[in-house]
Amino acid sequence: MASVAETVARAPIVVRRPWWRGKLVYVALIVAGMYVAYRGWALEYPWPNNIVWNSLSLHLDDFQVWLLTERGKEDQSVVFTVFEGFSSAIEHLVEGFNRLLLWLTWAGTTIAGVAIVLRFGGVRPALVSLFAFVIFALTGLWEESMETLALMLVAVTLSLLVGIPLGLMAGRSGRFRRTITPILDAMQIVPPFAYLMPVVILFSIGAAAAVVSTMIYAIPPAIRITELGIRRVPVNTVEAAASMGATRLQLLRKVQLPLARRMILLGVNQTILFALSMVVIAGLIGGGGLGAVVTSGIYSNPALAILAGLVIVVMAITLDRSTEAIANQTDPARRHLDEARKRGLHLRSLGIAGVAVAGIGLAKVLGAAATYPDEFGTPPRTATLEEWLLAKIQVALDYVQDPTTWVFSITERVGTFILTELLLPLQQFLVEAPWFTTVAGLTAIAFVVSGLRPALTTLAMLALIGFTGVWALAMDTLSQVLVATAIAVVIGVALGVLAAESERFSKALRPVNDVLQTLPQLVYIIPFIYLMPVSIVPGIVAGVLYAFPITVRLVERGVRDVAPASIEAANAFGASRLQVLRKVKLPLAGDAVMLGVNQAIIMVLAVVVIGGLVGSGGLGYEVAQGLVRGQFGQGVIASMAILALGIALDRVTQGTRRGRKEGMA
Amino acid sequence: MKRGTDAHNEKEGRMSLGGGRHARVGLIGAALVVASALAVAASAFGGGVQSCGTVVINEQSWAGSTANTYVAKYVLEKRLGCKVKLTQVTEGPPYFQAMRDGKVDVALEDWDNTTTKQAQPYLKDKSVQIVGSNGITGVIGWYIPRYLLKQYPAFATWRGLKGKESVFKSPESGSQGMFLGGDPSYVQKDRALIKGLGLNLKHVVAGAEPAQVARWSQLYKQKKPVLFYWYDPQYLNAQYDLYRVKLPPRFKGCLDDEKQGGDPKKYACEYPSYGLDKLISKKFASSGSPALKFVRNWKWSSTDQNVVANLIAGKKMKPEKAAEQWVKANPGKVAAWLK
Repeated sequence: MASVAETVARAPIVVRRPWWRGKLVYVALIVAGMYVAYRGWALEYPWPNNIVWNSLSLHLDDFQVWLLTERGKEDQSVVFTVFEGFSSAIEHLVEGFNRLLLWLTWAGTTIAGVAIVLRFGGVRPALVSLFAFVIFALTGLWEESMETLALMLVAVTLSLLVGIPLGLMAGRSGRFRRTITPILDAMQIVPPFAYLMPVVILFSIGAAAAVVSTMIYAIPPAIRITELGIRRVPVNTVEAAASMGATRLQLLRKVQLPLARRMILLGVNQTILFALSMVVIAGLIGGGGLGAVVTSGIYSNPALAILAGLVIVVMAITLDRSTEAIANQTDPARRHLDEARKRGLHLRSLGIAGVAVAGIGLAKVLGAAATYPDEFGTPPRTATLEEWLLAKIQVALDYVQDPTTWVFSITERVGTFILTELLLPLQQFLVEAPWFTTVAGLTAIAFVVSGLRPALTTLAMLALIGFTGVWALAMDTLSQVLVATAIAVVIGVALGVLAAESERFSKALRPVNDVLQTLPQLVYIIPFIYLMPVSIVPGIVAGVLYAFPITVRLVERGVRDVAPASIEAANAFGASRLQVLRKVKLPLAGDAVMLGVNQAIIMVLAVVVIGGLVGSGGLGYEVAQGLVRGQFGQGVIASMAILALGIALDRVTQGTRRGRKEGMA
Repeated sequence: MKRGTDAHNEKEGRMSLGGGRHARVGLIGAALVVASALAVAASAFGGGVQSCGTVVINEQSWAGSTANTYVAKYVLEKRLGCKVKLTQVTEGPPYFQAMRDGKVDVALEDWDNTTTKQAQPYLKDKSVQIVGSNGITGVIGWYIPRYLLKQYPAFATWRGLKGKESVFKSPESGSQGMFLGGDPSYVQKDRALIKGLGLNLKHVVAGAEPAQVARWSQLYKQKKPVLFYWYDPQYLNAQYDLYRVKLPPRFKGCLDDEKQGGDPKKYACEYPSYGLDKLISKKFASSGSPALKFVRNWKWSSTDQNVVANLIAGKKMKPEKAAEQWVKANPGKVAAWLK
């Protein structure tokens, strides 16, 4: 009992009132005020037309035409020549990689890939990667998989080459970090559809444009996580080294980099996942590979699009697990190398390399094909499971598309309920309420929850939205984002708490989260429309499914990280498990929960354009139409509005405490 | 499934690579070194040897375009010995740029993207050239399932819709009738048309074509009323019995792209019929390849296209097989292309 007494003495059980509790009342009051205004003046005060910059979209269109004309001139300026050189260098790189993978033959590529993972990562991830190669082969999508793999390896490598040095700089200079943070936010929230056309004009269609668009999305996590790693290096260690006369460069090389190593490798891992979520977008601009199978399959062969989507997931999870294992295995802090072990590892490398070379040589001698064949032997027999898999997926699709099943009778009602009871009333409220009460209300909420500066930013962002002439569209999108976020947070918090309480549940949930974060939304959302044939709801579903995994992860970590002393103390007083959860863990994890809400909003915003493609209207539709119908200005304005909405919502929910975002990794 | 390039020759097979070397430099390092070495080698090997060379055709998203593309690919490869590479670049400005950069040679079905403002710079410097019609007339309009006409014969024309709009009501349209809008990438003016005709319909955007199909086909299967933007040729027209509602005839100065704004009355006429164009790039136009003549000659009918598209998208046949089947069944038409 003595130890318990000590624990109690050390850990005060006074649970701090979570910072947001008292604020809920104010927020509710503000919302009530907005509602009263809406009842009184619905539709009477739309955003006034005389404070809209109507010609903005024309100016943007002109800009694109100008860029186009400049780019097409015979005597083009040096700038364009540089872009051209850069783009052909990238193209050669991707093509070279692709040729290498084909030259190795399908058998050789498999052996080489598995050998690399085996040497640096260990047996389990090697088996996972073997499984992935088997999937590439049996789905009949080998060639496309290799194209995507080559594209992704180049995009990830370049993202890291740019991202890690910038991350190091940001980690060492607060000013630099503050400068680039808004740029990084923009890179992650602005829908790729908005910048595809300028990218295509500058880098042309094909691998280069695909790589550049992927980099825009994949560089931010590389910078952010590297920066976090550098800043987490204990200050006293750095000071100790400095006091011994280490130069800045020595500090970096000998102290900061080695200590931040694990975080940097985590950054590599996240960069890979972010890059893979761009595969489909890359398919739109000539990136080829699995992305192109998805984009063209959606129209003419949905089963094939789904199959390609699943292959993308397999590739993402494999790369994720392999890099994670490699990071753990090669951590110098973990393995203490004496001479004997060093020699052992050396021998292992040689052994694996030898076997790999022999395997590749054998594959070449036996005449293995560059890509895994569809048929083998004489008479030819199919070598893949493609037909079988497609038939199975088709059965599922046919079931989903049949309006006489009992599943449909339920899902249709749920869909209609969400639409008519949740979405449409909220949409009406936000779109039809007088613009000035909405602006004032949202600014006031930002002030109450987060403080003066965030409130001013929110005000500025809302004004920008109105000024660019997309107020009603943005309010429409806002209503959808709020509903999707609310559902995602409810699911995310519930699952996150369960995962924190049960190790087994947590393990089971991880692959689900991975699939939801990497499976292209377009692939599963179209079948979904058959089940819930009403507008907006499928888009909401896409947002929820993409956003809740991050909330689960953050809440799970928040609850797990609650100081064990507090829990022990509560246990000592005889609190039940539920009481501990409710009274101790959740309140103490409050910050992580709020961060979960905040991140859920960002993720929901990231799929607004997907919503536009499946009937959600609002800003997403404008962006999608902007690209394909050549309405460049319209697309850019709508994208900027999505970004402004993102910044405003981020400020509203960020809370008063500074540096909250730093917990995010 | 072999979509895209088959053009991986065994040329670089002779290059030797020390396979054991990468294990030491680290995964990324090795990859970079190897790739850049290969890139240099690859560029040295580049270039085709056949008289026809490589033709790059852009396959657009709809099934009809897949049918065009694979039939042309089959004939070019089997009869003219060309190499055909397919790309899937989004239509409109993205694929115009691809043609200007010489990345795409041919597009076999353009629905008037060439009339947009953004297209003009490409046409002006001839980096994109129109080489005649592909033989198909595209029709856009307001469609309903034909079974509706039994109950409401008046729906044959737009006047019959007046006062009966609520037949088409849906959860999102309230008391109004729902009009299901088209794919954001397609030409449309339905919002203005509804206003101009004074109909009590709510324009609901359904999103991309597969999403829109999901909406109306689900209602069709339940024999419920639905009114939507649709077009022909389209392979689904062989599976669903649809009827095009008559809209007011065209008049002089009637507008078709509602992005132009202005009085909705100016839009109150039916959509024009579209002669669908074949486009080629400047580079291809001056290549002198025998494929050029083939592309100029190439044309077929809506029926032909629907047959092939339905084999691919409806019957789930591989596009290569569907093309082969059609070509073998229509030797006369194919011969005309090769003249």
